[in-house]
Amino acid sequence: MHAGMSDTAHVPRLFHFAAAFGAGGLLTLMILFNGTLAVHGSLFFASWVPHLTGTIAALILLMLLRPKRASTTRPPVWTYLGGVSGGVTVMLTSATVNTALALSGTIALGLAGQILFSLFADIRGLFGLPKRMPEGRDYLSLTLIISGSLILIFFGSTA
Amino acid sequence: MIWFIALALLAGVLVGLSRQINGRLAMSTSAMESSFWNHIVGLGFITVTALLWGGLFAGEPLASPWWAYLGGPIGVIFIAAGSWLIPRIGAAQTALLIIAGQMISGVLLDIIMGAPGSPVARAVGVALILAGMYVAQPTKHKT
Repeated sequence: MHAGMSDTAHVPRLFHFAAAFGAGGLLTLMILFNGTLAVHGSLFFASWVPHLTGTIAALILLMLLRPKRASTTRPPVWTYLGGVSGGVTVMLTSATVNTALALSGTIALGLAGQILFSLFADIRGLFGLPKRMPEGRDYLSLTLIISGSLILIFFGSTA
Repeated sequence: MIWFIALALLAGVLVGLSRQINGRLAMSTSAMESSFWNHIVGLGFITVTALLWGGLFAGEPLASPWWAYLGGPIGVIFIAAGSWLIPRIGAAQTALLIIAGQMISGVLLDIIMGAPGSPVARAVGVALILAGMYVAQPTKHKT
């Protein structure tokens, strides 16, 4: 750790930057693959299958990589429940996608909910994660990325 | 209508909530272990809900091409990446950069698959996102 830690803690380093951007690319593939499952099967099936094959893949990766535990003490039980939240998300989106909101409205509102929650989570350090106060440049970057996304969602395709 | 708007917003909040909780678990264990628990707990939850609701195997579930089954293993890497990033760069930066990657790769995929859409809107949208990433990019540290 270097002296400038407090200045740079909220600024992503190049590798973090690339990892997050790459994860967004993976998300596009997931939506394509899981969406293809939903064309032929039910929405439950399209969420159930990736969770099943994902569980198996994660188990294999854990056995191969044997990652070190960051702490010897067990975390609280609620930290294991992130998957429930993900499961509810699938049901909510499938409920709204067929209304007047359509896919674009559902995606746009989902982005808004995600950004508002993450800003609040950073400011408060929710669930024991590090606190971070967003600065001017963070809000500028947020405005640019969200406006670009909204243009793509509403005008970038005729879907 | 107001209810559907609230539900769509809530779906986004839950994505953030899930990433925050998984990130906390990764801080005590590891990003990969956090991803494993996210998947197995989600699997249990969806299985129970689908059994109560019915219709899990409705339609022609086996008609999908083989590659459609790759979403699961890709999701494992995706969740592990989010859990690894969130304690390091914060929830907002993680969410924004993932959204940027998702949007730009989505445009590329649309172009590759020949999906109809306005080239001008695509160019403007991608340019704004790249500008946002430029603003957020790592700066040289002043000493």
